[in-house]
Amino acid sequence: MDSFSSSSGSPPNTEALMDQIKAQLAQAYAQEFLETVGNKCFAKCVTKPGSSLSGSESSCISRCVDRYIEATGIVSRALFSSTR
Amino acid sequence: MENSAEMQRFIEFTADSYLNITLQQEQQKAMVSEMVGKLTSVCWDKCITSTPGSKFSSGETTCLTNCAQRFLDMSVIIAKRFEMQ
Repeated sequence: MDSFSSSSGSPPNTEALMDQIKAQLAQAYAQEFLETVGNKCFAKCVTKPGSSLSGSESSCISRCVDRYIEATGIVSRALFSSTR
Repeated sequence: MENSAEMQRFIEFTADSYLNITLQQEQQKAMVSEMVGKLTSVCWDKCITSTPGSKFSSGETTCLTNCAQRFLDMSVIIAKRFEMQ
């Protein structure tokens, strides 16, 4: 591969482009995930918004985020496990 | 070398195919991530009815698994339903 990249600029450019695309996809995915988790956990934990987040609301939110990540893993395994 | 033009074309072709294949792979990965995200959202709403605890109950875990798999079954049925027409 090295002998190719020295004789032509294409392969390194291609790889840089792919890295850029991957990074952008990852960022978009993270952004969407954060938004979804925020919506779900706000609905579950902050049922009556007060003048500030209470301690129980905060701990509910952190548990909720952990559970949502776990749920993502469960769903992903359910879809791709060989035991279907 | 008279082959150098051909070599150049070969290199460009290889780089092009490489880009196409990796792009397709990334597209597929993005589709899978999107589907997992969507299904998690739908099944979370269906299965997690109480405030989230420090651990899922076995009922919640089973519900999430069943929900995801039944959604797939349903997608197949809907696809077949439209194929028949």
